[in-house]
Amino acid sequence: MKSMRQSTLQTLGFKPIIDIFKNGRMPFDIDELVDEVFGPAGNRGALVISGGNGIVGSGKAMQLGSRLLPYDIPIITLDLPNAPDGLGQQYSGLKASFGAKTADEIMSNIIRLSYNGASLPKALKGYKPRFLLEAIPEILQLKKSHYEMMRAHFSEIEIRSVTSGFPMKELGVGILHPSFPHQINKIWEVIEEKPSPITHLLLALGLIPIPVSDNWSFVLDVLFCGITLAATRCNQAVNMPYWKIDKYVRRLVGPNPLRAHDVIGPGACFLTWSCLHHLAETYGEVFRPTPELVRRKNSGETWYSSDRPVVDWDMDDEEEFESWVLGPLFQMTSLILHEQRAHLSYMNAIGELCAQFTKGILAFIRNYGADRAIAIVEKYHQKHPAAAQSCWYPDVFAKMDTPEWEQLYVNAEHDGQVGLITISRESLNWDVINELNRAIDWLKREGIDSVIITGDFHLSTQMVGADTTEFFPALSDENKGYKVALNWSKAARRLNDEFKTSVGFINGKRCLGGMMELMMHCHYIIALDSARLGMPEVTLPVVPGMEGCHWAIRKTDPANYGKVFNLLLTGKSVKAKEVEGWLIDFAGSMEDCLKKAWALASGKDSTPKRKLTESAVKLSAGIPDQPPAGNPLMEAGRKAIFDCIKASCAVPLSQAIEVQAKHSAGFMTTKSCQKGVIGGSYKKMMAV
Amino acid sequence: MKEVSPVYPKAFIPYGTWGGSWFPAWHTSPLAEVNIAKFAAEGMAFVFGKKGIPLSELDYLASGSTIPWLYKFWASPYLSHSFGKRLPGFHIEQACATGLQVVIKAAAQVQSGSHSVVGVLTFDKTSNSPAGVFPNYGTYRRTEVISDIWDNFGYDPSTGQTGFNQAKGETSMIACAGRAARKYKLDKNEVAELAHHRYQQYYSAKESGKLNKFLFPMTILDVRGQKIGEVDDDTGVRKYNSLDQFKAERELDTCVTAGGQTHASDGMFTMIVATEEKARELSKNPEITIQLIAAAEYRTEPGFMPDAPTYAVKQLLERTGLTMDDMTAVYDHNPFAVNDAIFAKVFNYDWHKMNDTGCPMIYGHPQGPTLVRVTVEALERTVELGGGYAMIFGCAAGDVGIAAIFKVTDSKGRS
Repeated sequence: MKSMRQSTLQTLGFKPIIDIFKNGRMPFDIDELVDEVFGPAGNRGALVISGGNGIVGSGKAMQLGSRLLPYDIPIITLDLPNAPDGLGQQYSGLKASFGAKTADEIMSNIIRLSYNGASLPKALKGYKPRFLLEAIPEILQLKKSHYEMMRAHFSEIEIRSVTSGFPMKELGVGILHPSFPHQINKIWEVIEEKPSPITHLLLALGLIPIPVSDNWSFVLDVLFCGITLAATRCNQAVNMPYWKIDKYVRRLVGPNPLRAHDVIGPGACFLTWSCLHHLAETYGEVFRPTPELVRRKNSGETWYSSDRPVVDWDMDDEEEFESWVLGPLFQMTSLILHEQRAHLSYMNAIGELCAQFTKGILAFIRNYGADRAIAIVEKYHQKHPAAAQSCWYPDVFAKMDTPEWEQLYVNAEHDGQVGLITISRESLNWDVINELNRAIDWLKREGIDSVIITGDFHLSTQMVGADTTEFFPALSDENKGYKVALNWSKAARRLNDEFKTSVGFINGKRCLGGMMELMMHCHYIIALDSARLGMPEVTLPVVPGMEGCHWAIRKTDPANYGKVFNLLLTGKSVKAKEVEGWLIDFAGSMEDCLKKAWALASGKDSTPKRKLTESAVKLSAGIPDQPPAGNPLMEAGRKAIFDCIKASCAVPLSQAIEVQAKHSAGFMTTKSCQKGVIGGSYKKMMAV
Repeated sequence: MKEVSPVYPKAFIPYGTWGGSWFPAWHTSPLAEVNIAKFAAEGMAFVFGKKGIPLSELDYLASGSTIPWLYKFWASPYLSHSFGKRLPGFHIEQACATGLQVVIKAAAQVQSGSHSVVGVLTFDKTSNSPAGVFPNYGTYRRTEVISDIWDNFGYDPSTGQTGFNQAKGETSMIACAGRAARKYKLDKNEVAELAHHRYQQYYSAKESGKLNKFLFPMTILDVRGQKIGEVDDDTGVRKYNSLDQFKAERELDTCVTAGGQTHASDGMFTMIVATEEKARELSKNPEITIQLIAAAEYRTEPGFMPDAPTYAVKQLLERTGLTMDDMTAVYDHNPFAVNDAIFAKVFNYDWHKMNDTGCPMIYGHPQGPTLVRVTVEALERTVELGGGYAMIFGCAAGDVGIAAIFKVTDSKGRS
């Protein structure tokens, strides 16, 4: 078995992903893991969440409570008697997600106990606590005393802290550090000696545990607290108000760090200060909290004033702004790389998954290039010389040509016969496309002519389509739209053209838009029967640019053309089972899909490929009438998509790629697209 | 140059750390729609941002304005809150003397040793000025409603109790100007020539780009964060192509014409007063030092406001031993051309040599910030001429005149 790089799943103690296909099953069994962590059915112990009424504690009580519901595990929340009711506030969200009946069941399984912080309630013993998730305030001694108290009563209990920054070596217990918003965010940064059954159970429950090294603060916190600090330093230097800096940070990197702090609430500045304070003590001045942050830590004052701003600000010097914001961010990134805090794909993805980074931080730096990134940090150091005194490791950027840097989102493995391409980003962008091309190149160099392409079974839990921020330049420049559509389509066509057999496996909750178009190019498509598939472009509206307007038609019988039209013109998604036979080739359970994909790719299953019509296609039959779209933008999108279908089907396959790209790019510059979802998000994000 | 010791030897004005908004005439700009205090505070951050001065350098805020604004009770602490800092500070008000008075008091603050970098922030909005309702048991209605601009400009209560008839308009500012012109037997044609010359000075300075050193265009946002317009000009400045146009204007009172008087406007201006060390650190040219030499105030006879500054200057010269010949730049806050004409007549001073880059008679009169802009223009002009003394003076409601002398030393220049 060979791979371009280590898969992220391997950092959790599992084997390469290709083994999942070979074995025809996932590498864990949730029932076994539940038994291991909580005891066998009929004798289950409890999950105890201390600080259960806090933001973290209550959020995680909901998240874990809903996922563990089928396993009859009592969820005990422990908090002070006068703690505000954080759990009750979660109910409405729970109801909205699961419906009243299930929400009531989840809540009825949560047992709220009070304690005084010094002694445990007698009732706790009756629930046989097996696993403590500690979410009490960030005071080291308080936490340690809490562990002692729990262990004194329950010597076998497994303890994990959700701490916002203390390392395991200080706490003396393992860490499960979750990301905001806690009731829904699946990411947990994990620190433990070796991957434990608890961590595997999180993965089995559909959550995303990420192993990181035992250092002060976490990868996400370094990045998010770091960019918050950078924004406040920028204010200190140039006086630009916080609200405007926030907008420019969003345009440049993605998040609004200051708005996010205000949204999270008064405690957010304390946590950020705490994180930065400890980092500054350990690593130096680049992390030193500004007086404005210290002030807000003490006062709870918001960054945005309740009075709306009166004077607008423009950006006089983009480079100066870059140096104030990206300089420290790149320097902090050099630290986490130097300390090898995690797999590079984690470090890259976590900002995107948890902090609204438009791109992963490493992909972002990679696009800048090492020389430019270093120059930005050095320019920042000219303005803030104290930051240059420690914790700056420019050498780490010299490794950008290694597979770990080059394949942040896309990995490839093979066993000498069958290749596997895994994508860990939920939406397509240039980075994914470029990495996909490199992965295909590698497999071809390795002599592999059968391939499975799928999600990574870890960071990516769905395939939501194209990253529409990549279309922003195309809103005003048709050539840029054409370049996106043509080059992305060319990459997708390689799955059809360059392999004897290619199998697209939709292994997550959904596959939409650009990702669906990518999968369409495979000779076979397989999907979990619970997955929803669709082409929602018309609702944005945009014209699908990766051959979605003709490829599926060329691969199905004329009797099904109407179904393809429906998919494209309504934008509604459908269950995988409903499109079996004309859009996809097989839908089934995880195990069935794994086996089917492997059988097809390894040649053991001789199911014939659906034929791809390479000549022009006649569309005279089966085009259904559509009910009114209900809004003019979608109506314009329908017309444009319909025109694209006709034009791209009217030419041979060899020409269709350019025809579709032109239609897609042409529509992108129209008022309908500019007024739609993409134009709207462009204005919100870029027209600062 | 005669040497005179500064009144506050520990206080310095760092060169170039100043500026403000243009002064649009009232109701001609988006400023009419916003909380002027918030605009001023944000404008201060904006100006200092353009000048490369971090607000974090300030440790005190001295502010001034004359027209009530939302949250005025909270004064300077509110203003610094509005630009994101929490500074202590005072707020003062003295009609059109406010601006200069704040600078003087800021220097006193530094001299006292309590603070080392004092921001000066002055502003006013005449547009949409508020009305106040006051209990007044001495009147028939037992309540007074005062429109802050209109009613106060039309009636000076102290002057009004010295025999002038309010109903005939004798207590208004214009009446003061006319009355003073008659007292000094000013020649209408000379006043017209003076006013015409002032316009040419302003036009010339604006065309040369000199004003752009300290006037900053700003974009104004509405409550939704949408741009509602720009404040990028002294809108309301009249266009005169010839002296005859002035001479043809109807007299509103003796020697007072539309072109020979100021107009209401809105705006803000800011600067810094600091210790010597901090001033050198913050200065845009550390070779230039600027200090306040002395200041004076004078209250003239009721209803003769335009001659008050002349007497303030007289006192100042007597006290310092300086003469007008010692002045490199002379700048007058002149709501009326009459003011300059009286000053020139009393001192036998050539009015052509004053107000080289403009004056409030031309660009408008938002009260609070007016004399700070005048001061900045005077200091810039003095620096341009190689250093020396700058005489700055102006009148204020209540028949008051204020004057101050600043010394500009340029180590490369003449003084």
